Amino acid sequence: MKALFQMYLQQFKTTFASMFQYRASLLIWMIGQVLEPLVFLVVWSTVSNGNGGSVGDYTTGAFVSYFLVLMLVNQFTYTWLMWDYEWRIREGILSFALLKPVHPIHSFIADNLMSKAIQLPVLTVIAVALAFTFHAVLSVSLWVVLAFIPVLILAFLVRFLLEWTLAQAAFWTTRVSSLNQLYFLLLLLFSGQIAPLSLLPHSIQIAAKILPLYWTVGFPTELLLGKITPSAALFGIGVQAVWLIITFFLAGAVFKLGTKAYSAVGQ
Amino acid sequence: MFRPAAVEDSIVHIQSLSKIYFVNQQEAGAKATVHGIFRRKKTPVQAVDEISFNMAPGEIVGFLGPNGAGKTTTLKMLSGLLYPTSGTVTVLGHIPWKREKTFLRQITLVMGQRNQLVWDIPAIHSFELNRVIYRIPPDDYQSILKELTDLLELGPLLTKPVRNLSLGERMKCEIAAALLHRPQVVFLDEPTIGLDVTMQRRIRSFIAEYNKRFGATVLMTSHYMADVEALCKRVVVIHHGRLLFDGELALLLQRFTSHKTIIIQLSECQADLKVYGEVLACEDGRYTLRVPKAETARITERLLADLPVVDLLVEDPPIEEVIDRAFTEWNK
Amino acid sequence: MNYLRLIGVFFRVNIAGELAYRINFLFSFFESVMGLGFTLAGMAIIFSYTDSLNGWRPEEILALVGVYSLIGGVIRVAILPGMQQLTESVRDGTFDFTLTKPEDAQLIATFSRVAVWKIIDIFLGLVILIIALARMGSVIGGVQAVEFLGMLLTGSVIVYSFFLILATLAFWLVRVENILTIFLSVYHAGRWPLSLYPGWLRYGLIFVIPVAFATTIPVEALTSRLNWVTLLAAFIAAAVLFIVSRAFWKFGLRHYSGASA
Repeated sequence: MKALFQMYLQQFKTTFASMFQYRASLLIWMIGQVLEPLVFLVVWSTVSNGNGGSVGDYTTGAFVSYFLVLMLVNQFTYTWLMWDYEWRIREGILSFALLKPVHPIHSFIADNLMSKAIQLPVLTVIAVALAFTFHAVLSVSLWVVLAFIPVLILAFLVRFLLEWTLAQAAFWTTRVSSLNQLYFLLLLLFSGQIAPLSLLPHSIQIAAKILPLYWTVGFPTELLLGKITPSAALFGIGVQAVWLIITFFLAGAVFKLGTKAYSAVGQ
Repeated sequence: MFRPAAVEDSIVHIQSLSKIYFVNQQEAGAKATVHGIFRRKKTPVQAVDEISFNMAPGEIVGFLGPNGAGKTTTLKMLSGLLYPTSGTVTVLGHIPWKREKTFLRQITLVMGQRNQLVWDIPAIHSFELNRVIYRIPPDDYQSILKELTDLLELGPLLTKPVRNLSLGERMKCEIAAALLHRPQVVFLDEPTIGLDVTMQRRIRSFIAEYNKRFGATVLMTSHYMADVEALCKRVVVIHHGRLLFDGELALLLQRFTSHKTIIIQLSECQADLKVYGEVLACEDGRYTLRVPKAETARITERLLADLPVVDLLVEDPPIEEVIDRAFTEWNK
Repeated sequence: MNYLRLIGVFFRVNIAGELAYRINFLFSFFESVMGLGFTLAGMAIIFSYTDSLNGWRPEEILALVGVYSLIGGVIRVAILPGMQQLTESVRDGTFDFTLTKPEDAQLIATFSRVAVWKIIDIFLGLVILIIALARMGSVIGGVQAVEFLGMLLTGSVIVYSFFLILATLAFWLVRVENILTIFLSVYHAGRWPLSLYPGWLRYGLIFVIPVAFATTIPVEALTSRLNWVTLLAAFIAAAVLFIVSRAFWKFGLRHYSGASA
């Protein structure tokens, strides 16, 4: 247990140092992170204003809130595991992580948390500034805030384990960039980053509810916006829990298979 | 000691060449770091200090010196990559840093540590690039390519991606790529570094052969004595940016490598070997002895007879030592 | 001129090198089609709720997507790879080889790397553009066509000059930390008409990171939204930026070669 704690501490320091070193790339990355939801925010606001102030059950002000909250939820749940993992395998340094007494997933978790600890505050400030600029409208009731916390944490865990599982594909192929791109495009659509789920075609809505992607980003966002009833929220938490169990076992199984294949090649 | 070629005959003419770099002073400590954000202290570093020498056409000159002596800086000024701080340089009648196309077409630079070949495509494609960049006529290109392929045994290497070649194979292709345009002046910066002994020998013999066939003037930096011994009748020695010696290699060796180093492995460091030679160091039973060159065979015989020797090795003193001795000599 | 010969051989050599990895083409094709597909899906969703976006009709937005892909392809094929290679070569010292070659260093640096397979983006962009033009009907006159092509050219020149300025920073910063990706991160905003964005963002997309010149402005020329003042301004901006970027490049070279200021 102590070894684990020390490893987390060590990883926190490493991540912090490298973030400071590559602060220009960090800045550029954050500009990209802000711009994507901002663009859709502007587009949907335009559509809404031209449509008499609302589209579906979203007013212009609600659209603004939706995309800003989405940006922050995305920031809270995202990982870069799929690139990181492939890079480490390619550079031959994954072997080191596999030899340690602690499961390698921990260094990835620590790296992820530390990066977000730095990025999230900055993005929150930007989100608040944008909320004022674009006249966001948001009213949050107490039960929503209370429900939001477990929902967000579950969302983070499910997404982490899911992307961890997908990252293991790097054990079998070097062509992960196409896979990654496909995943992120699907994420864009099904998680509600192009438009709130209720505005998507019916068939896509159903697919989104079956896949885990919506439950990691779209669901927490809609919850905070007050678009989810208490019973639906409870149901949603249940779905998240189910996905957590599924991804947990998937991740473990694929990892075992992957490391076996990896060592068989004699890296 | 100095044997200056007449300026009119020189293909390379260097006069009082100097280069000063300004390096940011990084001091430790929190206060100094904060201060450093606002005003960086710059200290001047004299990389090259008033050197002068000339080269006649067709010469192979060894440019010797330890790391950081100023060799690469000088080479960069000769090839037009760096502006000098003061002094004059002309190569083939041109001022290098003006980087006139007619000048650049007649020179070439090979750097042992770095590749000009494109990494993930076969070397032949990089050759093709050079063919167009240097505007080599097709017939000339074919004939020089054939010659280089024969001399360097490039055959199967040219169609493999460069990244799949071994270090030595890559170096051969690098050299070939650099010589396709038949430059009159060839600058080689540590061409054999990191290569195994066989490959080093092959490259040395290639350079000698190339110089014989095409009469190219070659300036080669190295800190391997063996490179210089094999190729250069004349050497120029540089240390701390200053020219220490310009003349025949034989003279330099005679004067300053009067010793050899014997490395002898015993079981531990207890024995007193002063009687055999100057003990430079001992670690875990591994002694480093300096002995006069003429005595080497005799002392080696005695060591093997007298002591329980596990292993024995005879080496030339490292060039740093030769230069250091030269330098201390000059200080006197 | 020899410049064209040189550009030709760079393309030829890069293609020859890539030919051994034909499978990369398949993956590139797959990725490009996927990306475009999702962009069009997003467009379709939005236009299921409205007939026009700030006065822009669907086929006009389609033209915008086409140009976005086209110029994006030009960047990914001929601009980004060369500039990235440049910054890397400055960092690892192989840039010295570029400087000892008897040709203009900027020319060599620009074209030394070409990502051939990304030509797919250009092709797909053209297809989308043609479909959009067909849908727009015979609204396009000869004048607009010429203006459009002119603005495509100025857009490309402006984008190239912008990349060159960023890459030239490598002479001072050495470790430029992927600074070139900033354009592509912001480029996403070019999929939608500039008039949608608030003033400050519009300003940024024109004067700070010139995405507008690559996408919106050529399509505005195509759809008769451009007045000749903007047209002229774009030409002048392109010329000025090209000259400025070259001057900055030369200044950077002098610094790299240790010229005393």
